[in-house]
Amino acid sequence: MRGRRLSLFWAACAVAGALLVAFVVLPAASMIAGAGAGFLGEALRQGDIRRSLWLTVSAALIATAIAFVVGVPLAYLLARRDFVGKRAIEGIIDLPIVFPHTAAGIALLMVWGRDGIMGRLLAPFGISFTETVAGIVLAMLFVSLPFLVDTSRETFALVDERYEHVARTLGSSPGGAFLRVTFPQAWRGVLAGAVLMWGRGISEFGAVVILAYNPKVISVLTFELFEGFGLRAAQPPAVLIVIVAFVVFLVVRTVLLPRRGRSRKGSA
Amino acid sequence: MIGLRGVEVAAGAFSVGPLDLDVPAGEYAVLLGPSGAGKTLVLEALAGVRRVRAGRLFVDGADVTRLPAERRRVGLVFQDGLLFPHLSVAANVAYGFHRGNGERTGWLRRPSAERLAQLAEEVGITHLLKRRPQTLSGGERQRVALARALAARPRALLLDEPLSAVDVEAREELQEVLRSVCRREGLTVLHVTHDRAEAFALADTCALLVDGTLRQTGRPQDVLRWPADEAVARFLGARNVVRAVRDESDARLAHLATGVALRVADPLPAAAVDLVMRPEDVEVWPVGAAPPGAANRLRATVVRLVLQGGHVLVGAESPAPMEALVTARRAEDLGLRVGAAVELTVAPACVHSIPTT
Repeated sequence: MRGRRLSLFWAACAVAGALLVAFVVLPAASMIAGAGAGFLGEALRQGDIRRSLWLTVSAALIATAIAFVVGVPLAYLLARRDFVGKRAIEGIIDLPIVFPHTAAGIALLMVWGRDGIMGRLLAPFGISFTETVAGIVLAMLFVSLPFLVDTSRETFALVDERYEHVARTLGSSPGGAFLRVTFPQAWRGVLAGAVLMWGRGISEFGAVVILAYNPKVISVLTFELFEGFGLRAAQPPAVLIVIVAFVVFLVVRTVLLPRRGRSRKGSA
Repeated sequence: MIGLRGVEVAAGAFSVGPLDLDVPAGEYAVLLGPSGAGKTLVLEALAGVRRVRAGRLFVDGADVTRLPAERRRVGLVFQDGLLFPHLSVAANVAYGFHRGNGERTGWLRRPSAERLAQLAEEVGITHLLKRRPQTLSGGERQRVALARALAARPRALLLDEPLSAVDVEAREELQEVLRSVCRREGLTVLHVTHDRAEAFALADTCALLVDGTLRQTGRPQDVLRWPADEAVARFLGARNVVRAVRDESDARLAHLATGVALRVADPLPAAAVDLVMRPEDVEVWPVGAAPPGAANRLRATVVRLVLQGGHVLVGAESPAPMEALVTARRAEDLGLRVGAAVELTVAPACVHSIPTT
């Protein structure tokens, strides 16, 4: 009876999960199927789509790299230290998740635009954030950095701090202990956060379109093609970015992060 | 040597100290106390990974209170070994090698194979060097952790419950390794544990930490025989602690509240005392069979029998509730059973008195 109840429970979980997976797969699959055979080559032959794809992927990568440099130290600090205002900082980092993205774009424009405080400060150096790649990177960074910081913080918190204590007594400085002991145990989680952030970046539309309509990232190009030429014209860039994102996620999850399940049983 | 002078360490609302403790150079000291007494806090403060609120810490005569952990040259071994899981056993051991000692050479800072082999040999892990930490048993992990700590050539070694995650057979072997390696290297050791047997097997000196205060320091046999207070006595397994008052004309006679008097070897230190008797010092006899000259004879009824390995703990109702520890063979010979009437005797030299606080 107990076993039967258990199997019913797992069956219910599987059905619920299947519904959710179908909910995600159906739109993507119908979009790819609707585009017809040979659409990928056709899409890649179009220069504006190719340029837009490269711009989207590379701008999201730059945003992720910037977040890595400044976000990973912050994540480590939040995981290891208690200080006044820590909760407030965690809330601030998560703010972009609840910010409507068009509102985020407007807020960024007010600070980094031509008349914003940072925009005016950087203008003499020829740095502008409106209608530039820098603006796209800025918008992507703003909306997606919580994914890297939060995931990294959780991962660092899972690494027992006493490993660092041991490393310190063996002669490592705090930075040395982080680089030689903590990061090697946490890198998979940090990478997972970076991939999530990159994925969120390439899909960004609202903040990017306000700060930098041009040059067009794939989401803006798709919207423009849809507005100007209809559904059929918008399908190639949309399908292309879905496929690229799917392949990247698949490679990262199956090749780079295969030890996640096993590490739970291990010492870290 | 290791020295603590008025050291106070805090973790949240809990604090330890002020503590004063000296471990002479080359001595093996055990900081013994129940869980939650604050032992690990003391160790962390000495290692430099936790700040002290007050007081000063000394290692090898040098004041290390303000030194960062990496400059204290104090080795630390935790209960679960905490081997770095992303490194092989050899890389774990070599982690503490320094270029300055000639233990790392070349621009790649390759660890010295000779020193690695010597350390591995010393703690018996030569056959494990290529393994990953995840594949080791608890005892093997602790040996590797010990080798790793020794690799950094520490001036003192701190061990935080190093045997508690190890099975019984491996524990005895590891105790032997700890004792012999530390003696050979002339290391000053502070070993923290809640396990009395472990402490008495290893310690030159025992320090009792209860509720954040250092209650007593001394040789294991002295601490065991002459506990400083009731909490220490109970923690060390002296299960018989009874309150008594000194006889007005005979300072070696103590009266229990039930009217029974017990004779002690030394004059009682105060008018009101706690009498402490270890169960293994309480002898059990059939009624009337106790030696005629025996002092401190108590008629009792057996109320509980608990088998403990090769011994039986006998709970008895007498003028004071008492517990005696007899061999299983002796219990069988006496035909002990719950409800049986027996006679208990305790030699006056085995009755320790502590002034009532």
